[in-house]
Amino acid sequence: MSSDNKALYARISRRETHSPRSLLAIVLAVVLIVVFAWVGTEVVIALLGLPALLVAPSDMFTSALGLAEQPAAIVAAAGIVAAVIGLVLIILSLSPGRRARHVIDTERAATVVDNEVIASALARHASYAGNVDPDNTTVSVSHRRAVVDLTPTSGIPANRDDVTEAVTAQLDAYGLRPTVRARVQIAEKAKVGA
Amino acid sequence: MNSTNRAANRLLIFVCGLLLLVVGAAAAAAVLVPFVRDAWKDTSGQVTDQVAGWLEQTQLAGIGVSWLLIAVVALLVIAIVVLIVFISRQGRGHTGIALTDPTSEHGSTVIESSVAEHALKDALDAHSEFVGSHVSTYKVRRTPVLKVSVTCRRGVSPKDAAAIVESKLHALDELLGRELPALIQISGGFRARVTKTTRLQ
Repeated sequence: MSSDNKALYARISRRETHSPRSLLAIVLAVVLIVVFAWVGTEVVIALLGLPALLVAPSDMFTSALGLAEQPAAIVAAAGIVAAVIGLVLIILSLSPGRRARHVIDTERAATVVDNEVIASALARHASYAGNVDPDNTTVSVSHRRAVVDLTPTSGIPANRDDVTEAVTAQLDAYGLRPTVRARVQIAEKAKVGA
Repeated sequence: MNSTNRAANRLLIFVCGLLLLVVGAAAAAAVLVPFVRDAWKDTSGQVTDQVAGWLEQTQLAGIGVSWLLIAVVALLVIAIVVLIVFISRQGRGHTGIALTDPTSEHGSTVIESSVAEHALKDALDAHSEFVGSHVSTYKVRRTPVLKVSVTCRRGVSPKDAAAIVESKLHALDELLGRELPALIQISGGFRARVTKTTRLQ
């Protein structure tokens, strides 16, 4: 059972940490449906010999072919905008689309954690180790890096090594995949009464 | 977790992107590059004649309408139907059955997923580490898989959160006598941000 589950869990973990690109695909599909429905309606109306809704199919055809005679600035601008949108779509379709999540090694289940949760747990431990108010601790967690920013209270120096040790120990205990390295930054200027 | 066909999503996005890129670049080139501009003007006349010729040849006897146009309408309708099916296939994969025991001489046993869902949710709601929890069941590769998503209070260690959920899952295994595959999703979000920070444990 556990060997089947390994493959199953690997699949689930991969799908949970990457975006399905569903929203974009649905939006594009809806746009295509609207365009197709409109073109189809225009063709049927033209076949019945009734006046067109917006543009008759024959006019669509001739204006598309007569593109080179239209004002160059408008056509060029529209073409470039369309090409850029197309390029962005191609990039989105090929890029991995990682979500801000990490996988944790657990034996019973596949576990995914939002980076936000990791950050707030690290912030709690960092502020405790650095003797800093929790409100003056900022942590941001990205794919491979956790950046801890501390602003110490005036007169109470924060020990960078202690904080680094505490944060690294926490990160090691979580067993995140991919692994996250901590970088601790302690502000030069402390705050009064913080 | 759901059975969304991600390859299809990406394929649709890629094809739309490629189409826009090609059409946009061609339109821009047709007005900006003199060589392309001349070639475009030369071919556009030929294309018009060609298409007019086709429409002439494919006239249906009696109505005087080309069947090419009717075919175009039919293709558009098929494309619309395919796209509607494509949209409706997103996010599917929920299942109402957690376990089915093979039929024995005494009959068969079916355990609905709501049994597992309610048991887990009740157990998790008792913990102050979480501000909320949601349990659902999906079918992944024909196996029912539990999805346990919990929203943590600020500052809760993800390891502790996972350990709590895992202990509840082990208890559920005892109850059902079978191990159901599970996904634990630990998230923060708005509700976590506006609630109280966790106490030191």
